Amino acid sequence: MTGDLRLPGLLAHPDWAAVTTLGGPAPDGAGIERVVTVADLHADPGDARAALLTVAVSAPREDWHLDVLLRRAVAAGAAAVLLAGDDPLHPASRLLAGRIGLPVLGAPDALAAALTATRLLQEPDQVVAALVGRTATVCGVPHGGVDDLVADLARTWRRPVWLLDPGGSVVAGADATGSRTPPPVPGAALLEVAFGSGPPDGRLAVAEPEGVPAETAALRAALAVAANSVRQRLAEQRLAVERDARLRTALLAEILQAGDPVPGGLRRRALDAGWSLDGWHAGLRIDVPSSVDVVAAREQVLRAVETARLRAVVVEQGPGWSAWTTFDHQPTAGELQQHATAARRTQWLLRESLPTSTGVGRVHRGAGGLARTLGEAGDAARLAAERTTSGRFVHVDRLGLGALLLAWTRTDTFLPAARSMLEPLQGRPGDLLTTLTAYLDAESSLTETAAVLGVHRNTVATRIERVRHVLGVDLADPDERLALHLACRSVLFHS
Amino acid sequence: MEVTAGDVDALVTGVLLLGSGGGGDARVYAHVLRSVLAAGPVRLHSPAELGDAPVLPVGMLGGTRVLGEKLPSGDELPAAVRALVRWTGVTPAAVMPFEAAGLNGVLPLPLAHQLGLPLVDADLMGRALPRVDQLTRVVAGGAVTPMALAEPAGQTVVVDGGDPVSTELTVRAFVAQAGGWAGAVMAPAPAAAALGDACLGTLGRALGLGRAHAGLGDTPAPARVADALGGHPVGGGRVVDVRRSPVGRFGRAAVTVDAPGAGVLRIEAENEYLLVLADGEPVAASPEVIVLLDRRSAAPIAADAVRSGDDVLVLVLPAPPWWAARPDAAVHVGPQAFGLGPAAAAPRPVRPAPAAEPPAPHAARSACTAAGTGQEARR
Repeated sequence: MTGDLRLPGLLAHPDWAAVTTLGGPAPDGAGIERVVTVADLHADPGDARAALLTVAVSAPREDWHLDVLLRRAVAAGAAAVLLAGDDPLHPASRLLAGRIGLPVLGAPDALAAALTATRLLQEPDQVVAALVGRTATVCGVPHGGVDDLVADLARTWRRPVWLLDPGGSVVAGADATGSRTPPPVPGAALLEVAFGSGPPDGRLAVAEPEGVPAETAALRAALAVAANSVRQRLAEQRLAVERDARLRTALLAEILQAGDPVPGGLRRRALDAGWSLDGWHAGLRIDVPSSVDVVAAREQVLRAVETARLRAVVVEQGPGWSAWTTFDHQPTAGELQQHATAARRTQWLLRESLPTSTGVGRVHRGAGGLARTLGEAGDAARLAAERTTSGRFVHVDRLGLGALLLAWTRTDTFLPAARSMLEPLQGRPGDLLTTLTAYLDAESSLTETAAVLGVHRNTVATRIERVRHVLGVDLADPDERLALHLACRSVLFHS
Repeated sequence: MEVTAGDVDALVTGVLLLGSGGGGDARVYAHVLRSVLAAGPVRLHSPAELGDAPVLPVGMLGGTRVLGEKLPSGDELPAAVRALVRWTGVTPAAVMPFEAAGLNGVLPLPLAHQLGLPLVDADLMGRALPRVDQLTRVVAGGAVTPMALAEPAGQTVVVDGGDPVSTELTVRAFVAQAGGWAGAVMAPAPAAAALGDACLGTLGRALGLGRAHAGLGDTPAPARVADALGGHPVGGGRVVDVRRSPVGRFGRAAVTVDAPGAGVLRIEAENEYLLVLADGEPVAASPEVIVLLDRRSAAPIAADAVRSGDDVLVLVLPAPPWWAARPDAAVHVGPQAFGLGPAAAAPRPVRPAPAAEPPAPHAARSACTAAGTGQEARR
């Protein structure tokens, strides 16, 4: 007898899922030391100190003998009464249970619930053995990734299981949302085990059942068993990922070198990889600092690409990723706009975890076109690294005009004029100059501006309204807009 | 001992209290009583005074509530008496209630007046009970057949022979056909027999209770009520739930009272209140007389009238002495006799019942003993 079994812990136990509280006070931390089972309501519980008193045979709830039994149970020192069936209590019984402070529980199969409690109390070793055995079976399945394993463990343990990185962020398991801490289960601590050797790679964590010592011991043992498998799966997965990455990188390099027409063998390998070389390609280049492990971070990029609804092939290449979207027809302006927005959203989604500069190439056709668009995207990404105002995002389509304007505004006459024109915006809250510039850069699109600046579109709208008011300009007038745009560009680039 | 016109209210309240929540509402008969008693008082005779003179137990059977819908003709009991006299050839010398509680406690007074016969202060229940097999005379081994019944429209039947159970079934069938109730007169028995197989002085007890009750005034303290009525206060509080279910013979009701100080009171009832649990502990059980009083007016509340939200005082009056003296009383009239299972009520000091008049003049109020006949029923 461990003596530390607590009623709330029991109620939270998966085997007790069908047990409901019918009356009495909310189960507190009262300890349960044994299980006493009586046949029916007429039974005398005898000595039931700190016991879970189980009534095996179901009786109509209106039978007043239930009240007598509750009273006797309290007198005998019972911690709680478990009744057969989950029908609600008679009002008198409910009132009585509350008054005498006795939790009354109900379960469709009260005997099974009592048996669970008995096992947890009397045979903790068996509980440990059973769980470890089931865990070993799950871990012994030879295929599947780490995510599958974590999901299997959660199913086997019937509790949320998480894989945490060294920083404590959830990387797999229940609701792997990438949040910093495990989704907290109310009132539950975590049982953790490091699965890396040497400096911790990460930890496998499970919500600790509170007040069920046998279950805690079982989970501890099971965690130790599972950690090995997790380590092994991670290693296998890493190996596979790296091999795939190398294959992809090499294949892309070969295709880019080969140019049109692509040799048959290469075409076949591209097909195997699921790449379509025909059609129109729009390239995307995501550059990251060389310190980033692009193989390991690929998952994040894929997630961002998927979330942004960008249907793109992503390939590790140098310090970053080359990606492209293939259209089977010449994309319309609307589709291209959608593509650009999705690309920008991808970068926005990555902003927290990865410092990226992103470039988007124009649409080109065929395998040669793929090389061209990726080249353009690469150039744009390099240019984007310098451009903070555009959120380190450059679309090649807009590159020519930008260069032209910049060259022109470098004249000495224009700059002072521009400065005085934008003077009223200085020193006002809300970074009006940057907002205006971004807004005009983004073709007067509030949504796009909001994405660039990382603020809500309503904020942009308010700021633009203030700019309009302060400067007294009509942004709908093409002449004024042009002048303003040039002034902004010139002031920002020369300040 | 005499009952005068001034005693009507006390008598009515007294028989209601002995109804233990059932027995029917005697108040509907108060005016009849007044007009009868205006002509002169009715004397309550002790059976001992009448020797071997044949006495008829009388009353009504069926649903007392139906009385308000199916009005009496006034001739039911006389018609039943006539029928029984023709069948048995015995001329009655006196009448007595077979149930001196509820409506049946007052019905014999007008009848005695009507027939010009003496009224015996004895009955076959000592309180309200629902079934023929619960008559003291039946329990004591006596017979209550032949029995005559007459319904308001004039139809009359005589039931003779058969065991108590078949009599009960036959009687119920007739009552149902008659539209809910019928006047009933049971087999005549010598007055002296009542000394052994009937409860003596129940009407006197009712009168005493009623008089004590009349002196309570508004919102009396529970202890005072208990003292005055010679009972034991279980507790008082708000009725939080009344749950009625169609189980049992007459439908079951469970009344839950949240009584500060006394705990959670649960009163199990059928036609009458049968069992009281305080915090899961049985504290009173039939044949003890369990009454629920309105806390403000101290008026008794019937089992079929109690509602959620009523502010009640739960009081236990001692069981009729005839039953109290009988070791097998619980089998016949205890909770198990109503399918509620045996209940051992917690032992409690029994207080003496209040005197009917300052010094009680009338006969034996203590235990009666066995030697009887019969059957009955109600509702």
